[in-house]
Formats: sequence, structure tokens, C-alpha cells
Amino acid sequence: MEGKKWRLGVPRALFYYYYGSWWKAFFEDLGLEVLVSPPTSKEILDMGVSLAVVEACLPVKVYYGHAAWLSERVDALFVPRLVSVERKSFICPKLMGLPDMLRTALKPCPKIIDSTINLSRNPQKGLETAVRSVARTLGFSGSKVLKAKEKAEKCYKAWLAKQREDKLTAGTTENPINIGIVGHGYLLYDRYLGMDIPHKVQKLGSRVYLPENLTDDEVEEACRVLPKRLYWTLGQKTMGAVLNFMERDDIDGIIHLTAFGCGPDSMVGELAERYARRCGKPFLLLNLDEHTGEAGLNTRLEAFVDMLTRRCSA
Amino acid sequence: MATVYLGIDVGSVSTNVVALDKQGEVLHSVYIRTHGQPIKALQDGLRQLISDLGKNIKVGGVGTTGSGRTLAAVLAGADVVKNEITAHAVASSYLVPEVQTVIEIGGQDSKIIILRNGVVTDFAMNTVCAAGTGSFLDQQAARLGIPIEEFGAKALNAKNAVRIAGRCAVFAESDMIHKQQQGHPLEDILAGLCEALVRNYLNNVGKGKEILAPIVFQGGVAANDGMRQAFSKNLGVDVIVPKYYGVMGAFGSALLAKEMYPKVSAFRGIDLTEREFSTGGFECSGCANHCEIVELKEGKKVLARWGDRCGKWSNAAAV
Repeated sequence: MEGKKWRLGVPRALFYYYYGSWWKAFFEDLGLEVLVSPPTSKEILDMGVSLAVVEACLPVKVYYGHAAWLSERVDALFVPRLVSVERKSFICPKLMGLPDMLRTALKPCPKIIDSTINLSRNPQKGLETAVRSVARTLGFSGSKVLKAKEKAEKCYKAWLAKQREDKLTAGTTENPINIGIVGHGYLLYDRYLGMDIPHKVQKLGSRVYLPENLTDDEVEEACRVLPKRLYWTLGQKTMGAVLNFMERDDIDGIIHLTAFGCGPDSMVGELAERYARRCGKPFLLLNLDEHTGEAGLNTRLEAFVDMLTRRCSA
Repeated sequence: MATVYLGIDVGSVSTNVVALDKQGEVLHSVYIRTHGQPIKALQDGLRQLISDLGKNIKVGGVGTTGSGRTLAAVLAGADVVKNEITAHAVASSYLVPEVQTVIEIGGQDSKIIILRNGVVTDFAMNTVCAAGTGSFLDQQAARLGIPIEEFGAKALNAKNAVRIAGRCAVFAESDMIHKQQQGHPLEDILAGLCEALVRNYLNNVGKGKEILAPIVFQGGVAANDGMRQAFSKNLGVDVIVPKYYGVMGAFGSALLAKEMYPKVSAFRGIDLTEREFSTGGFECSGCANHCEIVELKEGKKVLARWGDRCGKWSNAAAV
């Protein structure tokens, strides 16, 4: 592909909701054309469900859908093999296997850029290796890559700061209650897959706090009460947010959003609920799956908000 | 003209209507099977209520609840639309003011509500699986050829309840057949089934909850004496089954309507039982989401639409 301008597809799913800004800035600085798939829709979901292995969780199935949507429109797909993004914590194995799973499912399958990203031993060196490997596959090397990486880091930091400030504060009621909603970013921010829970809660007249409103330090600090560090990066993040929200008087209740069939969350969810219960903070666990019927979900959300409102006024 | 407050609970299995007077006393209650036709059930329910109470009533307020609460709210003209948890808790603490735990088992869902000092502090509902709810008891009673009404009384006659797997309805059924073929008497099997359901409920819905007395047991399944006894035995304290156990959701939403005390009720008139309502559906092709839109029509006039994610249809048809 030497000399040709690459058209690179980035699925808007899973870790796009954490590193999308980094990736986009990096590839664009290298002069690539980046095509991000549109927000999840029924069409994408249906495509994913029919392609994916049955036992995968819904977010992984949705990822298949996004990749399939892109496959005919791009020269290559960017599906990094995410092993670890920080020291001593890891990403779910289902996500590590994405490149291989996609290769068997997509027919025809475009070139997949699947450089391994493993920062568990030495974050700085690991990142450099990963970035160089991605760039090499695309035919870039040297100072151009370093420059693009710098640019990407800058964009990423700005995006992080913006996310920290973004609060879903309701202006509708005079004394709104405050609810912390925790869960993986690809559930909280994918408005179709995650049933738009944060906005739903906001519409019920509550102020919403998300894990992304916290700094990494706040998360780590909150996790100190745990006897040991959680093995999963997203589990650690969820747990940190729960513990932080739990200790705060300005937060009235916590909602934990999980995807049915999520292995790591089956443990983290239980742990979070036990800690919350011990300190008497209302806690609601919501399990999402393929059903689009929202009645059951709305009932639980409404009841939870009602409960908090009546508790606060009592 | 007497002022009444109506509570309507449109559930998956039954549709209930309760009329309260100004003092909060139940004047009349109706329990009808929904049979998958919520509009018809609601109209039948109101018709029955009106034929018993007479037309000389003034509706002061209407509350709806249940999984069909949105539909019922538009159809009847509701002043307050509330979820089942709140409605059940309100009704329960009205009848048993010091209640601390509410066990509610209905047709397709079961819930536990924890109250402290009259305020809901915690709740849980069964997840996707409907094992251990009324539908399963219904189905097993039908299979064994006994009317569901006699199920409880028979279970009480058991001498030695057999152990039945309660985790899953399918497992429970094969276990029951096995015990049956071994020659265990029917009463013992029925009692065993009640105990299995109670165990399943406490391990799933009631998991990790602080269940303190007084405990109120309500919902359609509370009619079953076998279940009542199994709960009392398992929890070590007599559970209270309130007088209106089968219509507590409707009762609660009537109380909420009364509490709200609207100046003029949104009620659409008692003649709504005789009007023509219909629902239709279509798939919106406005974007890749292909939302399934439902519309409620009176004659040719669209009363409401819902099911869209963007609000394109639901906002356009606001009544």
C-alpha cells in the first residue's frame, strides 16, 4: 500500500469510548483518512448478533457489527490487541481475541491492524513499542511517528479534561437527587447499547455523576481499602468509582450498569454491591442484554429514583 | 355524587381496578385476566366497576401502574403514573403501617421491598427468568389437573413435603414428575413445590436483604395457603397477607391519586368503556434504528405513540 492514502476504519465500540480521541488524532496526523463507524443502531446490532459467537457479551457482538459496517468501506480496520493499558492490570480476554475472531467472521475481511498493546510491565516503553508497531504496519517510521504520538497525547488529555467537567446536571427540579452511575464506558456512552441510562436518569430529575468525572488518582485512592488490586483495568475503575461515590455525602445512590455475560463484572458487581450495602448506600444493579423492551428497565430506574427522593425528604 | 379515586394496575397476567372513597376506604375492586389484551381488560374492568358502583360517581383522580401503565394512562386519562414498586409499597404501608418487608409475587415477576420507618430503603426484582412466579404455579396446577384455587389447601394437607429443585422451572418440573412416579402423594409434592419456590425466592430476589418483621406477603400468589405457610416456616415468623393482597398495585396507585388530589382529574369519562380503541404498530424507517412504533387510536384519531428513541413520533402525537 506504499504511497497510497490509507482509508482506515475504526469501530465505534468497546475501547473507542476510552481511546478514540487518541487514535483518531494519531492517524490523522500521519495523513490517513480515518472512518469511524456511526453510533450503534439496530442495523449494526443485528449485524453483530448474527456474526458473533453466541457466548460473547453484547458489547463484543456490537463491535462485530461496527467492524462489519466498516469492512466494505475501508482499506484496513484498526483492531488493536489490547492486553494491558497500565501496570499490572489487564483487559478482558474476549477483547484480546477480537482480531482473530473478526478474521474468521468477516467475509471478505479487510486487512486488520492488530498490533499488540501491552503496558503491564513498563507503560512508557510498552506504549512506544505499540505505537511503532502500528506505524510500521502502515509504512511510517521515525520522527513523523513521534510527532503524531505527541499530538495524539495532547488531544487525549484535552478530551479527558473535558469528560471530567461534563456533568449531566439537571436543571428541572429544585432539589435534585444525586446519582452515581458506574459501568464500562462502552455501556455508559453508547446511547443505543446502554439504553441511554445516564440521560434517562437525568430526565427523571436527578443529577448524574459518572466514573469519568473522577481523576485517575481519585480512583486509585478510593481503591486503597481493597485488600488487593483488581486484576481487570475496567473492574478497578468501576470499583474505584463505586468506593468514591459511596464515601461521599453528596451522592444519594449508585447504579451499576453491566452487560449480561460479562465475566469480570460478575465478580466486580458483587464486590461493589457488598461494599455499598455495608455502608448503607442504595445500590441498583442493572443487567443489559439484547431485549429492546425498556419497560422493565424503566420500572427499576423510576422506582430507584422514587425511593431516593422519598428517602431524602423523609 | 360520591367522589371516587381510581387505581388501575395493568399487569402481564391480570388487570386490576380499585375505587377508593374520600376516606381511602376500598369501595370496590375488580380482578380480571389480561389475556394479552390490555385495552379490552381495562375496559372490561371499568365496565364491571361502574355497573357495581352505579354511574352516579365523580372521579376525583386516576392513578395507573403495572407494566401497561403508559398505555392505561393515555387510555383512561391518568393524573399519576407510577411504577409497581412505589405503588405496592404505598399500599402495603397504608394497610400495615409498621411493615418492614414486602414480599410480592405476581404473574410474571416477583419483588422484595424493604421499608424502614415507612420509607422504601431497598428493593429487588427477579431478573429475566420468571421461574418461581405465579405463571409457573398456574402451569403446574394445570398439568396435575387441579384448579389453582385448590392448590394451596391441598398443599396444607401434606404430611411430609418432598424436596424439589427450585432453581429452574424446567428442572423443578422434571423433579416433580420423578417424585410422582416414585409414588409420593400429590399433597406432599405440592407442598414441596411451595417450599422450593420460597427457597428460590429467598436465594435470588431476597439475596442479601435484611428481612425483618412485620412481613407482608401480597400479589396473586398470596392467595395460595401453601405458599403462605412455606414462607412463614422458612422465615420463622407469620407473614401477613393483607385483605386486598391481589390488587395492591391498583390500591396503591389509587392512594397516590388521592394523595395528589388533582383539582380537575384528567379522567376521560366513564363512557370510555364503550368507545372504540385500537392499537397499531409500524417500523419507522427514519434512521438505521428501525424503532418499533406503537400507536393508540380512538376511532381514526391517534391518541399517543411511543417506542421511538428520538421522539419524532411520540412528541408529534402528544395529546
